Amino acid sequence: MAVEASVPARSLSASPTTARAASLVNDRAIYLLWAVFWAFMTVVEIQDHFYNQYVRWWEPLLWQVTSAIPTTLWLIAQRRQQRYAGYLERPLLWFVHHLKWLPLACITTICFMYIARHSAYVLVDRQYHHEPWLFVVVYETLKLVLFASLWLGVAFAFSSFEQWLLERQRLAKLQQSFAEAQLSQLKSQLRPHFLFNALNTISALMHSDVSRADHLLAQLSELLRSTLRLGDQQLISLHEELHVLGLYAQIMHERFSDRVSLRWDIAPEIHDAQVPALLLQPLLENAFKHGVEKSREPVQVEIAGHQADGSLHLVVRNTGLLTHDASSGVGLRNGRERLRLLFGEAARLELQQDGGWVTAHVVMPLNSPLHGPAA
Amino acid sequence: MMRTLIADDEPPARDKLVRWLGEHADVQLVSVACDGISAAEAIGQLQPQIAFLDIQMPGLNGLEIAAQLETSTAPLLVFVTAFDEHAVKAFDLNAVDYLLKPYDKERLAKALARVRTRLDSGENRATAVQIARRQTNCGDRLLVPAGEQLQLIEVQGIEWLEADDNYVHVHSRARTYLLRRTLTDLLAQLGEQRFVRIHKSIAVNLSEIQSLTPLFKGDFEVHLRGGHTLRLSRRYKDAVFARIGR
Repeated sequence: MAVEASVPARSLSASPTTARAASLVNDRAIYLLWAVFWAFMTVVEIQDHFYNQYVRWWEPLLWQVTSAIPTTLWLIAQRRQQRYAGYLERPLLWFVHHLKWLPLACITTICFMYIARHSAYVLVDRQYHHEPWLFVVVYETLKLVLFASLWLGVAFAFSSFEQWLLERQRLAKLQQSFAEAQLSQLKSQLRPHFLFNALNTISALMHSDVSRADHLLAQLSELLRSTLRLGDQQLISLHEELHVLGLYAQIMHERFSDRVSLRWDIAPEIHDAQVPALLLQPLLENAFKHGVEKSREPVQVEIAGHQADGSLHLVVRNTGLLTHDASSGVGLRNGRERLRLLFGEAARLELQQDGGWVTAHVVMPLNSPLHGPAA
Repeated sequence: MMRTLIADDEPPARDKLVRWLGEHADVQLVSVACDGISAAEAIGQLQPQIAFLDIQMPGLNGLEIAAQLETSTAPLLVFVTAFDEHAVKAFDLNAVDYLLKPYDKERLAKALARVRTRLDSGENRATAVQIARRQTNCGDRLLVPAGEQLQLIEVQGIEWLEADDNYVHVHSRARTYLLRRTLTDLLAQLGEQRFVRIHKSIAVNLSEIQSLTPLFKGDFEVHLRGGHTLRLSRRYKDAVFARIGR
């Protein structure tokens, strides 16, 4: 199964259209090369028999064409069927998987060649003379193995190049989506509602409890600073992520102290797990924006995390009902996109009604992502 | 003394306003509400002269409360908001009082000074209510008394409205509510598209009209889908026929 894990890499292509465009250009190049190869082989063959009076001019042509047709079909099959693309990172496996088709390829090709040649000779009322069958099979098989290995090498080079291009696009997209997440994070912290209300809370506390006001001011500053400090780190430890989350939660708790209760339930062993930076905050913001701020009743908010089956499970949930607004936010969409780019199908982010709770559930692989961020 | 109400859902914000208003000798706090519905209830029961309404509140926000008030008896309104570009623009255009969070004592004193002048001059309060109505979907839901409490009902479920002095009977399929409003102001709030007057004191939900039967002297009988029959006065006949396309 360890091998299979790398297969989804291919489905991660930056976008279906660019992937198709890239492989089209690639395919065109390899077919052109193939045509040149056969043209060359044919010319050599014709020239070889040019002064042989027993061989007609069209015979070498026929031999080459009957060899070219089945091998071309096999090449097309190889280019079309990209089922081994996931093994490109392990060349040996890639070759093994391709070479296991070789016996079938040899048998079909040799059969086609000789049936076609004999038929063609019969049509012009002649007889096709060749070496004994045993010799033919051994000789043609050797030739095919030689050429198949050569062309698999060429195909491998083309496919690797294609994958490298796609990988580069994917990384660029990853960088971009992270930059967007960071920007929208900044925006949401500088979101006038949050910032001005937080400042008003501090302004209110200053007249009743100076040290608490001071503390809150420090927390607000630390929250803004943390977001800036995260720089362009794609992944941070869950511990760091929770720190930023805690600052935000405390400020919101101060504002809505009479109707929100917060609970943290993080398994100690996952504190060092790597998570996409700023992934959870939009989820907690949602819980406050759509849960607490819209409710007259007290609301419970829970942030929980644990590991199970090699996956990291993170949950942000609040009591209440899921609204359309809550499930269509930018934060949620951006979070899903980043998880997809980092972990492919292995990660997911779901928001759903779960009894009396609105639950945002993130599942992602516990070890580092398939494709680390660009160095 | 100025009888004053405060509505804000955030405790620190509430405390700040309570504390600072307490420093003004002529301000008498009659109620401090934590959400929109209880603020509307308190305004109805206590009839304060001034109301400080936070715009962001659960249930019914400050603008929505204002939109549900009777224009002529509404308190002087001061909207309080951390950020609401849209509303603030409308306030500026029409000189409606507002405070932006965080505000300082000076800014609050200035707002109070303006409120005092307005109270003394007996200035019309209609503007703030009308602005609030324009900023909200106040024609879709109506705040009605249900027992001790207020509740929001869907306006499309109302069959007809019947004026009775300074009250309006709101007839819905399920039950009838008694509202201390004038019919004219209520119709202004709900928008003229949905209801049509068939009598000086009666307005009908257009979509509830099933059929009309002529009577003497140009009057008609209006049959409603719910089974009730009302009288269409000939004074309103043309207007009604124009609306229902006859």
